Amino acid sequence: MPEEEGESLIHVAIDAEELFAIGPLSFTNSMVGALLASTVLLLAAWYISRRSQLVPGRLQSALELPIELLAGIVSASSTRWRGYIAVILALFLMILVANWIGLLPGVGTIGITHVDEAGHEAMVPLVRPASADLNFTLGLAIIAFVMFVYWGIKAHGGWGYLKELLGQPLYMAPLMFPINIISEFSRLISLSMRLFGNIFAGEVLIATMLALTTAVVFVLPLAFFVPAIFVGLELLFGLVQALVFALLAMTYISVAIAEGQSGGHGDEHGEADAAHDNDSHAAEAAHA
Amino acid sequence: MDSNLAAGLAIGLGAIGPGIGLGLGVSKAMEALGRNPEAAGAIFVPYILGLALTEAIGIYALVIGLLLMFV
Repeated sequence: MPEEEGESLIHVAIDAEELFAIGPLSFTNSMVGALLASTVLLLAAWYISRRSQLVPGRLQSALELPIELLAGIVSASSTRWRGYIAVILALFLMILVANWIGLLPGVGTIGITHVDEAGHEAMVPLVRPASADLNFTLGLAIIAFVMFVYWGIKAHGGWGYLKELLGQPLYMAPLMFPINIISEFSRLISLSMRLFGNIFAGEVLIATMLALTTAVVFVLPLAFFVPAIFVGLELLFGLVQALVFALLAMTYISVAIAEGQSGGHGDEHGEADAAHDNDSHAAEAAHA
Repeated sequence: MDSNLAAGLAIGLGAIGPGIGLGLGVSKAMEALGRNPEAAGAIFVPYILGLALTEAIGIYALVIGLLLMFV
């Protein structure tokens, strides 16, 4: 059976596996990953906030670097960025840590061996990166969804928000209303599916590379270098996906609170864009 | 067997479109950066967002492939 051989070579489970159950509630290994990520964040926040200084030390400035990067981008997005920057930063840090936990050695390889009814032996990993579980990413996407609907209603009022969903010429509303509703919900789907798909595919990719270089043919230099390249790639993807999630949530919120025709950018930002446009037009003309 | 073939086709064919789209997006962004290096900050956010939205289509193909394989 070629399929069973493949199954024993790489362990791929699309849903999180149950470690133990408390009554009807099952405790899965991705929950361990999520708890680990939140513990890391809480400990880091506690440690840093206790000994933070005005002039940051080496560790403090290393930890402030991603926050400053994102805070700079968020504060340029809209004039009312103070209201939602905390949520965006929290989403970013949580996803970043949850993604990178999957790359630690031992995650996905240390586990409990189970024997199911058919007699197959299967290893259930103790820790699974939380963002390789659709439940976690959908939960985060629902948080972002509620945030941008809440900000939209707060900025325009309930009737104003409804009017935006109905579309501009009111006689087109029967056609536009379902389309707008679907496009609102497709944001939810695409936010959660993108994060889940990327991180899960990354896990499968690393597992496949390890299996190819160690289990099939053990070639010593390859067995270390080929997976290492992909682990480096996944470090980058973990950062990019956390950034993408946070930036998309930010964009949805700043579009939701934008007044009418403005495209969700602050005024001074728009002017800067226009200046750049002129520059590139001039360059194009010179080139032609 | 059939669903394995279908999953392979889904991700293989589904990666063509996003691949072309990502290439076009990156090439235009690099072109813009080459013409106007000071605009790097202004280009960065729309660039990442555009890539993420393009890539989502590839992810949909991946999800279909995963559904075919495991569900």
